[in-house]
Amino acid sequence: MQVKIYTTPSCVYCKATKAFFQQNNVEYEEVDVTRNEAALKDMVDKSGQMGVPVIEIDGKIVIGYDKPKLSELLNIQP
Amino acid sequence: MYDLVIVGGGPAGVAAGVYAARKRIKTLLITYDYGGQSMVSPDVQNWIGIVSISGLELAEVLEKHLKTYAADVLEMKEGVHATKIDQLKKADEPAGPLFRVTCDDGFSCEGRAIILTAGSSRRKLQVKGAEEFDNKGIVYCASCDAPLFKDKDVVVIGGGNAGLEAAEQLIAYAKSIHVLEFGTEFKGDPVTRERVFANPKVTPHTNAETVEVKGDKFVTALVWKDRVTGEAHELSVQGVFVEIGSIPNSDMVKGLCEMNKYGEVIIDHKTSRTSVEGIWAAGDITDQPYKQNNISMGEAVIALEDVYLWIRARK
Repeated sequence: MQVKIYTTPSCVYCKATKAFFQQNNVEYEEVDVTRNEAALKDMVDKSGQMGVPVIEIDGKIVIGYDKPKLSELLNIQP
Repeated sequence: MYDLVIVGGGPAGVAAGVYAARKRIKTLLITYDYGGQSMVSPDVQNWIGIVSISGLELAEVLEKHLKTYAADVLEMKEGVHATKIDQLKKADEPAGPLFRVTCDDGFSCEGRAIILTAGSSRRKLQVKGAEEFDNKGIVYCASCDAPLFKDKDVVVIGGGNAGLEAAEQLIAYAKSIHVLEFGTEFKGDPVTRERVFANPKVTPHTNAETVEVKGDKFVTALVWKDRVTGEAHELSVQGVFVEIGSIPNSDMVKGLCEMNKYGEVIIDHKTSRTSVEGIWAAGDITDQPYKQNNISMGEAVIALEDVYLWIRARK
C-alpha cells in the first residue's frame, strides 16, 4: 500500500493525520509542499483544490483529515 | 445509563470531566476530538499559567489530564458528534429526569444529567462564490494553508483576533494582505492590531462588506462594498481567508433548552443551569458574552459542582 501525505509545517490536521498513521503502524511518505513547488502543483492537480492535508492511498485521493475514509482505505477497524 | 453525560471535549468539557471523575460521578464524555476551537491556533498566549502554547499541544494536555483521572468512573466516546438530546423523563416524574443523547454514528446513551459543552463551529462565508470556491482559494484554516500563498495577493475577512492572527501568519508568505472588517472598528486585541497593521504588506479596511468571490478554476478576485459610501471595490486576489466568527452547536437541544436569537443556550450564570432541570451548559454554546477558554472552563466547573450537589440532594 503506497501512502503519501501532502502537508505544510503548521497544519494541525496534517499532524493529526500523521499521528493517526503512526498509531496504526501505517508507513507513509510525507511531502512538505512549502518546500517543493512541483509537489504543490501535483497536489492541486490531483485533488482539484488547495487545502492540506491531501492523502494519496494507492492513487485514491482523500482530502483533509477524514478518519472514516482513511480507515476504510487502509483497512483499519474502529 | 450514566449519572452524567458531558457533550463536547473542548476546555469546558474536559474541565467538567476532570471534576466529575475526581468526584467519582459515573460519567460518559462524548466528543469528536479534544481541545476545542483553539486546536487550530498556532499560538495561544492567554491560557492563564502558560506563556505560549500551540493549540495542538493544548489539546494533548487537556486529553492527558482527563484520561489521568478518568479511572473506572469516567468513560469516553470519541470520534463522534452528538446530534440530538431528547428528554425521556422530566425532573418531576418518578426516577426523572432522564435524557437520551444520540450521535452521528448511531450510538446513543442515557443520562440523568447533561452538561452541554459542545462549543461553536466556524461561520461560513455566505456570498456569491463562497461555496463554489471553498478550498479553491477560500480558506478557513490559516495555520494550515497560509504557506501555500507564497508571493500571492490575499484578503482576510474578519477583524477579530482570529482575523488578525491569520493576517499575521500571512505576512511571512503573501505579497499583499487586505483585511476587511464589517464593523466600524477592528475588534481584535489592540496589541495584535498595532503589530499587524505596522507591516507594510497589510492594508486594513473597516465598514467593509464582502459582496462576491470571483474566479475560474480557483479564486481570482474578491468584491467588497464600503458600507458608508456604497462604493464597490474589486481586489485581485488568489486567497480569501475567512475568520468571521462562530455559530453555537446548539441544534441538538433546539426545542428543548431556551436559546437566544443567536442560538446560544441561555444559562443561569450562577449555576450554569439551562431552562431544563437536569441540563447544564458551559462555554461558547451558552449566552456567555466573552468566548474565552478560561471562562468556559470556569463555567463548566460551576456546572459540575452544581450537578454534584443536585445529585446528592436527590438521593
